[in-house]
Amino acid sequence: MKNRNVTLLMLVLGIVVGTLRCAVTYAQNAPEASEKGKEVYDQSCAHCHGTEGRGDGSAAENLLPRPRDFTRGLYKIRSTESGQLPTDQDLFDIITIGMPGSSMPGWETSLSADDRWEVVAYIKTFYDGFKAGEAPREISLDGKIPYAEQSVETGKGLYVELGCVECHGNIGRGDGTSAPTLTDEWGFQTWPANLAQSWNFRGGADTEAIFKRFIGGIAGSPMPAFEGDSFLHFGLTVEESKRLTELENKDEMTETEEAESEKFYEKMDAAVNLALNRTEGIELTAAEQQTYDDAMQVVYEKSWHLANYVKSLAPEQRPEPAIGKNVLRSQYVQDALPGMEDPVWETLQARHFPLVGQIVIEPRQFNPTIDSVDVKSFYNDTEVAFLFTWDDRTHTIGDETDETTGKPLEDALAIQFPVKVPQGPTAPKPYFLWGGRLPVYLWHWKASTPEQVTELTAKGINAAEVQEAQGALQAQGVYTDGQYKLWVKRALKTDDKKDLQLDPGVFVPIAFSAWDGANGDVDAKRVVSSWYTFVLEPVPSSRRFVYPPLIAILSLGLLFGLRAAVQRRNSVS
Amino acid sequence: MKTYFLASLAILLACYYVGSAFAADSGAGEVEMLVFPDAYSAGSVSNGGTISGVVKFEGDMPEMKVLEITKDQAVCGATEKYDESVVVGEGNALKNTIVYLIDVSKGKDFDKATKLEMDQKGCKFTPHVQIVPVGARLTMLNTDKVNHNVHIFSSINKPVNKQQTKNRRKMPLAGVKKAEGPVSVKCDIHGWMSAWIAYIPHPYFAVTNEKGEFTLEDVPAGTYKLGYWHEACGTNSGSPASVTVEAGGSVTQDFTLKLK
Repeated sequence: MKNRNVTLLMLVLGIVVGTLRCAVTYAQNAPEASEKGKEVYDQSCAHCHGTEGRGDGSAAENLLPRPRDFTRGLYKIRSTESGQLPTDQDLFDIITIGMPGSSMPGWETSLSADDRWEVVAYIKTFYDGFKAGEAPREISLDGKIPYAEQSVETGKGLYVELGCVECHGNIGRGDGTSAPTLTDEWGFQTWPANLAQSWNFRGGADTEAIFKRFIGGIAGSPMPAFEGDSFLHFGLTVEESKRLTELENKDEMTETEEAESEKFYEKMDAAVNLALNRTEGIELTAAEQQTYDDAMQVVYEKSWHLANYVKSLAPEQRPEPAIGKNVLRSQYVQDALPGMEDPVWETLQARHFPLVGQIVIEPRQFNPTIDSVDVKSFYNDTEVAFLFTWDDRTHTIGDETDETTGKPLEDALAIQFPVKVPQGPTAPKPYFLWGGRLPVYLWHWKASTPEQVTELTAKGINAAEVQEAQGALQAQGVYTDGQYKLWVKRALKTDDKKDLQLDPGVFVPIAFSAWDGANGDVDAKRVVSSWYTFVLEPVPSSRRFVYPPLIAILSLGLLFGLRAAVQRRNSVS
Repeated sequence: MKTYFLASLAILLACYYVGSAFAADSGAGEVEMLVFPDAYSAGSVSNGGTISGVVKFEGDMPEMKVLEITKDQAVCGATEKYDESVVVGEGNALKNTIVYLIDVSKGKDFDKATKLEMDQKGCKFTPHVQIVPVGARLTMLNTDKVNHNVHIFSSINKPVNKQQTKNRRKMPLAGVKKAEGPVSVKCDIHGWMSAWIAYIPHPYFAVTNEKGEFTLEDVPAGTYKLGYWHEACGTNSGSPASVTVEAGGSVTQDFTLKLK
């Protein structure tokens, strides 16, 4: 017995020493830091970013984007030029505000400003490059071009010319043809920003922020820096650039034209040379600096136009979720319901349903790519029609299969209702993840069969059954420029007991599930919403044109009668 | 009692060993690096010797994987593209191996006339392995009429990620400050494009051609450690070859490499 204890003791000791050795190996590189900063960091940051700042904290595995590895000195959100470290203020701001669309929260309310500055100082100790103490070169915001239609238009041209479309797609929904193959510095898959969802921009969505991301790039990600010479004809004025394009497009140039274009090339080469000298740390003479500044002036103007264009792609703010005054209200029409392409849909404001990764039941989705679904609806005396739109960077129709389940990876949407509408606001609803004891009724649409919606009944996320009687649901789905649009129409009343029956004026719970096949969504691995409600907005009664005038006439009559009676009595006396 | 003690000791050692393995693991997956001298002084070399040789691949010639071309088919998919991590030619000649002097401290200067270019024609980096003197400018070529982005994953020097739009035929890159590498070069727009750049502090580096041949010329007489680096076969930094060069003489050193 005693001997066994010795063995156990040795075992524990061995593990301790073994672990200690790892710790010692790592700790050798760790420079000194302020005790306070370390304390705050260890308490608030280390779970994700790791005690040594390697971005390998215990929670890191399930996060995408991964927590930043501070040991490489690569910072995404900077107000500094490409290849430069961030300013202290940049670091402080990120800690304060957080990074929308990622797991990095803002710490404004949970850490004092002093503590946040301490953390900044401590984080900097993870990378030796900060020790040099050189002030990083900041991106100048001088000469900002205000937001205007003409500027947006110019920016749109540059968006194509500079190749933004490759990753961000034709109109910026992050659906470019290179989007599915992107990886970050550490080899993890990463997606280009959906420029229509500015609320997910990691470094904020104001024009200045967009401008800085564009000029400085996003270090550690595939987003390049658009420094001066990434621009066509860097070194030429706008007019000269136009002229050169004109010359280059000629089938044959005269000798004078040859000489003219040659001059332009020399000017461009000289400007590029200065830009490289500057990057290499060679000091520019005053004259050279002027030449360089002139060249950059053109670049900066273009960049502001581009920033204005990107700004134009998204709403000013994230739409409010579909609750309270924003509840989804299906609008009554007397005639036939509009088809998918009917312009009458434009008259409705979409209701916004945010979606989150499903992390309750295995398999979980910790890194969702679908942000939300927007919904509009009309109904008439017999039917209801819905128009669902949601952004998905890829059009995946099941060509590839999931390795674990062997099921096809495919984009899909499910709209969930209870089978029976709960009577009253306190009556229990089915469990939001596809029901439980109380069943739910579902419309399941898949991208591979865009004209078809399958009716399901489910008593749990893994307990869904295709209904035997498939009602006459009409559906139409299309995918364009990173967005799905799905139109569904059904009768208000059906003969199937497993179907939801709809009546005007009744608030009906509604919830959503969506799958992005390219993001590995399959089965329970998906994005979901909790219960929201929608209502077939009751038709204002036509009797409103009868009773009020009637009452008015009656009251008026009464008034006259009363007056007459009083007058008569007065005349008698 | 003694057996128990020994067993415990064994377990202790095992745990310690496992622990250290974890410690060592922190660097796993990283590319092996070249070894550079602490300092190098360049001058003129008279009556130097020549080191040459052939690098061969040991084992069956691995089949080159055909890369999946996911976009810009007209330009990028015109010819089949292969994974060039191992390129073996006739007689098992191994291309794209860097052979170099590890411990040279003085010798000739760089030949400034050498054109330093890397092409992206057909959405493929050519050459696959490029050596670039510290401070020198490498010019990226784009004759593809498609957009590329040049993404160089340096960590000692500043990383580079610059868009080279379809209209930009030549894009020179700034020279770097420190010897480093080889570092990976990628184009994020065309995810299959891959190459390597080594930023070198002295000129005694060579990259083997399709015949597996390399030559280092004007080497001052002396005994040197001769190292190699190959993307898939690794390095011999732990046990480099020892080569003695006589003034004006020639010496041959061949290598046979196998996959890591």
